[in-house]
Amino acid sequence: MKGQRLSVRARLALWHTGVLTLIVCVFSAGILFFVRESMFAGIDRQLYRALTTVDWVYHHEPEEIHDLASESGIAFFRVVVDGKLLYQTGDWERAGLTGAPVEPGAAPDSWKGSDGTWYRVQAVAEPSYTIAAAVREGARRDALWTLIVILAAGIPLAAALAVAGGYFLAGRALAPVGAMADKARQITADSLGERLPVLNPQDEFGRLAAVFNDTLARLHDSFDRLRRFTADASHELRTPLTAMRSVGEVALQAPHDAGRYREVIGSMLEEVHRLTHLVDSLLVLTRADCGATPPVREVVELGSLAGSVADHLRVLAEEKRQSLVVDPGARVEALCDPAILRLGLMNLLHNAIKYTPERGAISVRARETASGHSSIEVQDSGPGIAPAHRERIFERFYRGDAGFNGESPGAGLGLAIARWAVAANGGRIEVESEESRGSLFRIVLPGR
Amino acid sequence: MRILVVEDEKKVANALREGLEADGYTVTLAADGEEGFGLVSREAFDLVLLDLALPRRDGVDVLAAMRKRNCMTPVFILTARDSVEDRVLGLDTGADDYLVKPFTFPELLARIRALLRRGRAESALRLQHEDLWVDLATRKVARGEQALDLTAKEFDILECLLRNPGRTVSRDMLARQVWHVTARATPLDNVIDVTMVRLRRKIDDPFETKLLHTVRGVGFVLGARRE
Repeated sequence: MKGQRLSVRARLALWHTGVLTLIVCVFSAGILFFVRESMFAGIDRQLYRALTTVDWVYHHEPEEIHDLASESGIAFFRVVVDGKLLYQTGDWERAGLTGAPVEPGAAPDSWKGSDGTWYRVQAVAEPSYTIAAAVREGARRDALWTLIVILAAGIPLAAALAVAGGYFLAGRALAPVGAMADKARQITADSLGERLPVLNPQDEFGRLAAVFNDTLARLHDSFDRLRRFTADASHELRTPLTAMRSVGEVALQAPHDAGRYREVIGSMLEEVHRLTHLVDSLLVLTRADCGATPPVREVVELGSLAGSVADHLRVLAEEKRQSLVVDPGARVEALCDPAILRLGLMNLLHNAIKYTPERGAISVRARETASGHSSIEVQDSGPGIAPAHRERIFERFYRGDAGFNGESPGAGLGLAIARWAVAANGGRIEVESEESRGSLFRIVLPGR
Repeated sequence: MRILVVEDEKKVANALREGLEADGYTVTLAADGEEGFGLVSREAFDLVLLDLALPRRDGVDVLAAMRKRNCMTPVFILTARDSVEDRVLGLDTGADDYLVKPFTFPELLARIRALLRRGRAESALRLQHEDLWVDLATRKVARGEQALDLTAKEFDILECLLRNPGRTVSRDMLARQVWHVTARATPLDNVIDVTMVRLRRKIDDPFETKLLHTVRGVGFVLGARRE
């Protein structure tokens, strides 16, 4: 592109001016045309009367033709018979109309006489004679000229006013955009809670501001989650580190026997194990966040996948004397990455076993939903999830306040991993739960 | 058996040397890739433990140069990079095995033994420790005269323990060898612990001599621990 582009305001003003000038020009041309037409129509009627009068007199009282000018006031006419001039008024000659192009039978025409005045001239012709007459255009032509001058001077003036007015109006109309830009510039990572003012939600700027605010809200939300995640992660990482440090420091304060040192080192190694597990889980999630784990999809029979995951974890349920039942049901297939889905289901089922009390019941089944999706349902008889927690249980590090029956709580990443694993396969996890009546987790996947 | 350890992190290198020497190996340390490559070109080793992220010369580079010179010493890679591409790159370049840091020492020892043993036929079909024996062909287990009924996983764990008599077997090792799970972000630890409790109930609880012991923070060991 050549040069710098004009501002929106200037472009709006120019367009405005261009369109307005065009309208004024067309309008002026129209006016001129009609004024001229009506002016000539009046003159031409007068001319026609003069011609018919002269013609009538020439036919019926030819001798009166000489007095006609003085008696009727018809000042300009000429009668030519057989190519010879029979009579012409003195004014005709004086006005210099002698040379006027008088084409018999033609429409009236304008002619500038030698005295500088404009005349309207017309002629009638019979085989033997021609009568020509003329009428002064006089003040009417002056009026027309005045009108032309006024319009010619007025159009540039109007255009100039249109530029100024357009520029002003465009400025007024665009002012909210400028205000929005200023406000948006003030919103930084620290003040993401602020919003652009929406004056009228129905108009274009209102909608623009609403869209922008919507984006801001999402940004705010993800910033919040990131902040919380960082805080939680550092807390979770510090806990085992603190344990290791204090256990080690305390052990070194006084000499102990080998057995005691073995205990201390073992305890520290347990924390290392916990830390390793945590870092590995975080890595899975972080890789997922940056899309480094693309799923490799294939057709997976969900029932057998659920069965194998359940077999994997069955010892845990048996140890708590829970019944873990896999309902074989019909064959349900989905297109997904079996390894990732397995990881997700394993975390989900592990969660169910963990929260379900001893002698509880857990059932897993694959089935096709009414809407044609493939699903795996995990129903437990645990304490259920209060509505307040239901949305948040999938957040990283979020742990509900339900009891663990003495088991150590995990890092709170299991369900987050489950959600990622299912989402990576194009699905979602639905939760139905009633407090004290168990929960139903449903993995919904697109069918084949 | 001579092992060359190429590792720039001093603490890790010293721990490796101490641990390997305790297991009867002769250990030489190299602190960077250049030094490691120099040593491996001049001297004969039975095994090279190679870190991938090394100063002066990258581990993969050292490995590639070794293989190019037809040096076929087994190479065991230790790496903190655990993406699939890194692993494939290492194995493609000619590594014989790899472990992702942080690894457990018992597993490293077991893998090194397996590497050095490679090529020699595994003929044993019957593993035994004191009065506990396992028949790998019939999958029968017994202690003394009394036959024991184990599940498939319990049997596999026992086999793994019997193959490493007197040595600690870590959870990571069991996860890989018995459950065939390499991803560590799975809720497998509880499963391993519970399965181990059940195995102990069957092979130890009814008997006077206890064979299966837990090594806190590390894993499990069959028989008296060898210090």
